[in-house]
Amino acid sequence: MTRLTVALPAARRGQSFLGAPRRARRVAIGRSKAFLAFWIVIVLILVLPIAVFLAVAISPALLDQGPAWLSVDAFARALTGPTLRGFLDSIVVAVIAAAVAAGVGFGLAWILLRTDAPLRGLTTGLLFALFLTPSYLIALGWERLLEPNGVLQAVGFDPAGIRSVIYGPIGVALILAVKGIPFAYLTVSNALRGLGREYDDAVRAHGGGPLRSIRMTVAMLAPAIWSALAIVFAESISDYGVAATLANSAHFPVATSELYNAVEAFPVDFPLASAISWLLLLLVVVALWLQNRALNGRSFQVFSGRARQPLIVRMRAGSIAIWLVAFVTLIATSLGVPVVGAVSASLIDGLGSISGSHAWNLHNYQRVLVSPELGGPLVYSAILATICASAAVVLALMCARVLATRGGSRLGRLLDTALLGAVALPGIVFAAGYIFAYNLPIVNALGIRIYGTSALLLLAYLATALPSTTRLLVGAMSQQHDSMSQAARVHGAGSIGTWLRVSLPILARPLLSAWLLTYSATLLELPVSQLLAPPGSQPISVGITVALNRYDYGGGTAMEILAILSALAIVAIAYGLFHLLAPRGWKRIGVAR
Amino acid sequence: MKTRTRALGAAAALAGIALLAGCSAAAAAPAASGSAGAKLEPLVLYAAEGYDANMGKAFTAKTGIPVKVDDDSTGPLLTKVAAEKNNPQWSMLWVDGDQAFASLAQQGQLLAYQSPAALNAVGKTIAPADHSYTPTGTTVMAALIYNAAKTTSVPTSYDELLGAAYIGKVGMNDPAQSGPTYPFIAGVMNQDGSKATGIKAGEAFFEKLKANGLHVYPTNGDTLHALETGQVEYGLIQSSAAIGETIKVKPTADYQPKIVYLPKSTLLPSVLGIDKHIDATQQAEAKKFVDFALSAAGQKVMQAEDTSGDSLYWPIVTSVKALPQLPAFPSAYQRIDPTYWGSQEPGIVSWFEQNIK
Repeated sequence: MTRLTVALPAARRGQSFLGAPRRARRVAIGRSKAFLAFWIVIVLILVLPIAVFLAVAISPALLDQGPAWLSVDAFARALTGPTLRGFLDSIVVAVIAAAVAAGVGFGLAWILLRTDAPLRGLTTGLLFALFLTPSYLIALGWERLLEPNGVLQAVGFDPAGIRSVIYGPIGVALILAVKGIPFAYLTVSNALRGLGREYDDAVRAHGGGPLRSIRMTVAMLAPAIWSALAIVFAESISDYGVAATLANSAHFPVATSELYNAVEAFPVDFPLASAISWLLLLLVVVALWLQNRALNGRSFQVFSGRARQPLIVRMRAGSIAIWLVAFVTLIATSLGVPVVGAVSASLIDGLGSISGSHAWNLHNYQRVLVSPELGGPLVYSAILATICASAAVVLALMCARVLATRGGSRLGRLLDTALLGAVALPGIVFAAGYIFAYNLPIVNALGIRIYGTSALLLLAYLATALPSTTRLLVGAMSQQHDSMSQAARVHGAGSIGTWLRVSLPILARPLLSAWLLTYSATLLELPVSQLLAPPGSQPISVGITVALNRYDYGGGTAMEILAILSALAIVAIAYGLFHLLAPRGWKRIGVAR
Repeated sequence: MKTRTRALGAAAALAGIALLAGCSAAAAAPAASGSAGAKLEPLVLYAAEGYDANMGKAFTAKTGIPVKVDDDSTGPLLTKVAAEKNNPQWSMLWVDGDQAFASLAQQGQLLAYQSPAALNAVGKTIAPADHSYTPTGTTVMAALIYNAAKTTSVPTSYDELLGAAYIGKVGMNDPAQSGPTYPFIAGVMNQDGSKATGIKAGEAFFEKLKANGLHVYPTNGDTLHALETGQVEYGLIQSSAAIGETIKVKPTADYQPKIVYLPKSTLLPSVLGIDKHIDATQQAEAKKFVDFALSAAGQKVMQAEDTSGDSLYWPIVTSVKALPQLPAFPSAYQRIDPTYWGSQEPGIVSWFEQNIK
């Protein structure tokens, strides 16, 4: 076959074999340059802003944030009083949230991919909707439901008992867990698709039952499960939506509420915020250490050319009933409550109080649809989100490859820490780090003038999205067996051909879900947008917040619902196109039969 | 490995494009020309007023000077100003409250300017002697908004709120989340005019208020929501939010919002400041903007754009009258020293969070 000659590129192109070392040298040099360029990008968008912000805690004078060139005062303040309590509270609720989200995410992934449970298609869409719903909206929905004279009391039910439970650590942890479920589900399901039937068959051949099979599945999916645990933990400790609403109403301080008190109060206390950020990063380092210890350098390359389609489990009537009850409960508590709250608020003029005297109508929607405060900002955010999602998926693919390397290199661990650190730091801290780093007079003097432009906002979006996008791909990447690529190369495929024919079919669906999640998250991203959007260009999230802060709850929530609907429309179109246009083989991977 | 090489290269190229785009965008910041051919530079306005975007447009229409408005809430804007401290990118800052401006002035960040506009008595009270910033109007903290459908008890002083008639019925905002609330707390502490004893007396007042069942909600909107839903019967909030509520809501048998001002109301001005570090052209343009904001034309834009929110302020220039929907200006009012009370803010807010909230 002619393919054999393709495997010898020098000969194919009519070059002498004596030219091969020179070509190999060129490839090696090119690889080194590309490797260097990759790390420069990571340093510029992730490491530098974080490092500069963290430096403020140790040396406030370095960035004109205090007189001391060397000080530990900020750490002393961070480790006392309400700040310390908030830090400890955050650890507890984030651990609970991560465990619950990973458990539910794994369960959902298994049911949706390995059984014939009803409503599977609907569930994926609802998980996207849940991902798009800001945590503060979920918390606010619960408050509107449970507050004195709230919705439940208006319909004759006294929620005092439930209120005392939800208004506290349990409620905070549950809402954070609910917000983490889409992450956990997507991370685990991307990996579960690559786990073939042969492992189940092996368990059965050795006399194992269903429980043994599930244990084996959990063990084989360890990278994805740990990935889910780590990212939900990091997202939870950095969340501010719940901190500002339910935790605040419950007088339950968490680390982010203390951090925001330092950053958004007057005078702004960046050194204290930086010290709290150090502590949050420390938590991430511990989480990563636990992850690495659990995985212990083992291989999880389970997807090879011999992978067999998994079997589908037929659910019995009893199981279907349990599934439906669980599904309805999950959707009602996670999406139903905030949707009722937001939709009702968008239909009422004023403050969204159902017991007020406000009229119910579509006036808010009519108003914002023709308002320049919606159209321009939504288009601006959609363009940035599209660019960001596309760039993030490319970069995340490379990051995931580095992270999926068996055993993990030192650089891989450094990358993992930087990525998860970016998640653990609340967006406002990250954005402040960008200002410190890219608004330095010396940076301007070097001719780099990107502060105050859409380009810097885009880079910050990219850095914010990269950790979660990478995490979504790590599970699938770590499963891909090297033998598949090697086989393709032996059969004469070039490097690009190998990637297109072997890797892309396996990664197509994870890549699509990663792109859509990144797009959706970027579209409504708030803290980075607030600090880095160029004057004169308002992202939609800032417009919504400004409307809400000016007591235009109806207009603000209407804008929010329209923005979420626009993102859901993109999700539906993208999956529809994938279903219609993707080669059949791409769609069959991981599909049970 | 070659795939990886190319992919890495692609990413680097992408980042390069983004950087270049940024550089070019920054480099492309336009310098327009005025009608007389003079070079005009765009002003960058960081603002948290409901009418700021339209003020920018109206000013550009009048003068030809472009204005880029960063319209956001006060908190993120002050965070941004603090983060940019060693290389400010704003030409003007326009938010409610003068404590931040007093602090910026102390740090030498503000350009002093006295507009020729004639100020009324309230305006003269608020304007700083060194003209380091310019008030453009004022609201007061706090307006006591109450539900007249549920209660007939109307207090005439803050001390009355400590009585049995008000147990569990009063709500206010959290100073850590609501910008206008710290001036209110500082104003209560400043009631006797003594800095030496005021803080202790104020702390004692709030401790008694808490013992009487005070509710603390995040912001004006949340306190109003609590009032609407009957969780409280009295709310201590910013006057513009309270007046806006009485305008927007049609009274019913269950809800009739009314307002009373308890002596002494604390002035909470909207304030414009000019960055000292901008070049001479921009300084001249910024001064024109300040003049425009205090002119009849500018005040007309300010009063027209957010008629249920920030437009509900009392003018401080003699040539402009308040909107007809505003009540008479409270007769008993005070200005708190922004420099002194600004310096006390972290300690007092921290005390409130730990002891009252």
